[in-house]
Amino acid sequence: MEMVRTMKYVSLLLALSLSALGADFMLAIGNPAAASIPSTVSPTGGGPVPTKVSKDALFAVRPEGCANPANARITGTAEGLVDGTRQSAALRLLPGSIPGVYVVSREGPPQGVWVVKLTGVCGGAKAGALVPVARGGFQRESAKFYPRPITEAEVEATLKSLSGGAR
Amino acid sequence: MRDDKPPLGPIESGQLPLVKAPDSIWSSILASLDEDRAPVRRGTHWWVLAAAFSLASAVVLWLTIRPKPPSWEVSRLDGAPSVGSRRLTDSGRIAVGEWLQTDASSRARIGIGEIGSVEVEPNSRVRLLAAKPNEHRLALDRGEISAVVTAPPRLFFVDTPASTAVDLGCAYKMKTDESGSGLLSVTAGWVALEWKGRESLVPAGASCRTRQGDGPGTPYFADASEAFRDALAAFDFQKGGSDSLRVVRGEARVRDTLTLWHLLSRVGRDERVRLLDRMVELMPLPQGVSREKALDLDADTLGRWRQELAWKW
Repeated sequence: MEMVRTMKYVSLLLALSLSALGADFMLAIGNPAAASIPSTVSPTGGGPVPTKVSKDALFAVRPEGCANPANARITGTAEGLVDGTRQSAALRLLPGSIPGVYVVSREGPPQGVWVVKLTGVCGGAKAGALVPVARGGFQRESAKFYPRPITEAEVEATLKSLSGGAR
Repeated sequence: MRDDKPPLGPIESGQLPLVKAPDSIWSSILASLDEDRAPVRRGTHWWVLAAAFSLASAVVLWLTIRPKPPSWEVSRLDGAPSVGSRRLTDSGRIAVGEWLQTDASSRARIGIGEIGSVEVEPNSRVRLLAAKPNEHRLALDRGEISAVVTAPPRLFFVDTPASTAVDLGCAYKMKTDESGSGLLSVTAGWVALEWKGRESLVPAGASCRTRQGDGPGTPYFADASEAFRDALAAFDFQKGGSDSLRVVRGEARVRDTLTLWHLLSRVGRDERVRLLDRMVELMPLPQGVSREKALDLDADTLGRWRQELAWKW
């Protein structure tokens, strides 16, 4: 009985510690405009000043469940299949007007199928997101989010699915 | 020559004697002519030349350094647009106060100072109102423009008969018809439409109608259902009232909370409660956003709520 109680206390302490470290840490994405929301048109109004949003902006990304979002680090690459050939392309992650929020932009070949692979780090916790993108922007409904980094197998499977299995 | 003195007394007609002038008179006249001519040749002529040269130099200098009226660069894209009374053959400039006009087959691009550009579509008429470092302003009388701006917000403005579009760092299309009504569609960033204290904030992917006399309507996403868009237009411009709002609420998806959020401050309390309830059904109130404060239209509360909602827009 004493052992069971001790185990419960240890589990609770572990859960609290992990939570403090960002065990609930995930990434969230949205309209690029979410990275720089104007509070008002009036020059005397308060709130964050909107940053410039590039025409090439794909989407905005932010950390969730992170004790200090401003200290979270988010990196990413664009992974694609172009004429059956696997390619990777650089991404631009520009800070938004809110700490911890970034706008993801890419300049790359318009053909082929592409996904954005994101990795976030908050303290000792990591999270990942896989976001299909196309000419019209990002495909919110098809995006996947994990409380861990994305694996190469997951990237391959998503690209294969987007291209209809052709490679 | 006879040295005859003139006769004394009245002279009868035909009786005036003919007398030759003495040689000394001719000599003195010739001598005085030579004296008059010499000073002009030596001094006065050079003074006039010097004065004329100085004046000409001053005029040239003034023409060179005088401040030119503000203007933007204009280039022809198709056909033969006109700037003022001049046909644009390749590129030129449009000065403050001048009109740029395109016909059915012409297009043009205007450089907005150093901060962006505007493409003017066929059958359009725009006027440059201001070209200052802190204010770049066009008037769109009719037709369509596409603007891309890379500057900090609130530097570029487009006045239309039904509202003013305030750039907040963005790309957008704006059109206005002959009646002064129009449509704004944003492709990147945000644009604010304002008119007589009414403000609509339109994000990328969304549009907003404007109507002369009513100002900007309520922003909506272009992929909302047709029933949603029709009901919204009826509410905004045809006094659709509760019936229209019922359809809007019923057709709304999560991202249509953009529209519902704007409607909160445009309806009475009873409708506001129904709108808020629908919004909460679609997306729970975020932490720190009070239902009662939202119903009271507390600015901070609505701002924080919009900040969270925008992640779903």
